[in-house]
Amino acid sequence: MPGRAYVSPRMAHNPKADEQERAETEVDDFRRKLGPFVVAAEKTRMAMVFTDAEAEGHPIIFANDAFLKLTGYGREEVLGNSFDEVMAAGAEPEALEELEAAFDGSTANDPVIRYRRRDGSEFWASVFVSPVCDETGAVVQHFASFANESKHRVEQASAKMLIDELNHRVKNTLSTVQSITRQALRNAADPAAIRESIESRIFALSRSHDLLSRKSWAGVGLHDLIEAAMEPFGVINGRKERFTIDGCNVRLPPKATLALGIALNELATNAVKYGAFSNEAGSIAISWTIEPSADGERLILCWHEKDGPPVSAPTRRGFGSQVMERGLAHELDGKVSLEYRPGGVVCSIDIPAPADAAGG
Amino acid sequence: MDNPLAGRRMLVVEDEMMVLLNIEDVLADLGCVSVTAAATSARALELIEEQVFDLAMLDINLDGKTSFAVAEALAACGVPFLFSTGYSDYDLGEAWRDRPVLEKPYTDLALAAIIERLLPAARPEPVMA
Repeated sequence: MPGRAYVSPRMAHNPKADEQERAETEVDDFRRKLGPFVVAAEKTRMAMVFTDAEAEGHPIIFANDAFLKLTGYGREEVLGNSFDEVMAAGAEPEALEELEAAFDGSTANDPVIRYRRRDGSEFWASVFVSPVCDETGAVVQHFASFANESKHRVEQASAKMLIDELNHRVKNTLSTVQSITRQALRNAADPAAIRESIESRIFALSRSHDLLSRKSWAGVGLHDLIEAAMEPFGVINGRKERFTIDGCNVRLPPKATLALGIALNELATNAVKYGAFSNEAGSIAISWTIEPSADGERLILCWHEKDGPPVSAPTRRGFGSQVMERGLAHELDGKVSLEYRPGGVVCSIDIPAPADAAGG
Repeated sequence: MDNPLAGRRMLVVEDEMMVLLNIEDVLADLGCVSVTAAATSARALELIEEQVFDLAMLDINLDGKTSFAVAEALAACGVPFLFSTGYSDYDLGEAWRDRPVLEKPYTDLALAAIIERLLPAARPEPVMA
């Protein structure tokens, strides 16, 4: 493509016109000698520029299409203009220093720049700067190529976010385990009872995590949560006919899943020790409905034990009742009532219905 | 034993029930009998409007939202407070960088030490007959 403007017409009256002309001649020589390579440089998807090493500010004497596409400039806006200035228009001062060092050869590090385009969008690129020498070894030009790393940066940022989030969950889970341990030690003296109390709750947490992981932490159906929570209490084998679940499979968000998972474990543990599952005749009915209210829909869940041994209210509130009445109501912004009726424990949980409850 | 929390009213803003139950336990052991809890910033702000607190503890992240609005309200009333967080790489921003932070999980001692620092000589002097 002879005659194509590699130097902006605007530059004709530039005081550095002589230098520009000389640089232009050099590129033309270059083009003649290395024709296919110049075409390759023009067409490659890697952004590239040549700058004049003998003029102030590294004027750009060649910029390929990929460079124009990457930076968003027109060819006339970069050709003949200072590379330093073109970079200064969008890169940060530290990056400019690194670029300067790469040009004068005082560093072997390839600068990584974040460049803000005129339209406000950004790209990240590694810049590889190489000197171009003449026969005597004098640096006459610089060649700079840009590897676009924006996609990589976005991936890195998203990986970092996931790791931070995971770390946050792990730390909260450890705090929960700390709480479980403290409560177990406070409420029992027998090592076997302490171990059982800690293990049972850790396994309950673990089951809720499994359920959530299977759904990519997008939420879990209430029906599925209850089945998983009751499974270790032999509901699936043996006590199944003494246990009913009645309600649509409302999808609960992760927070409610974890909180209700712990709460159901407390209720079931109590039922096996003292309630409807401590004899051969008792039964438990769990049912729920979604009901309208003045402040939006509510999920009303009822745990109803019957035909167990006669119930008397415990003399002191244990951790289970604390979790139910204080913890669950607090975390899920609801009302929880736990009644030790003579005929069996009745627990009702009244919480805001999850956003997509209607779809369940 | 000196008890900086005796007779103090404390606000705990924490959305995870198990973590809250633990904090309440620790605070009870430290002699704090008046603990009010909020799981959301909105609830905490209501409580600050209605009641006077001597001290507050704020989880930075409440179900994905920060508790900085609560920090602002507390600072405006001159109530000392500390943050707690499950994040290791948290950023409190300029406004709160000098406030104490407890990274979860933490020991009773770490919490007690911060509380003591926040409530140093503010303990009412015993009245001499």
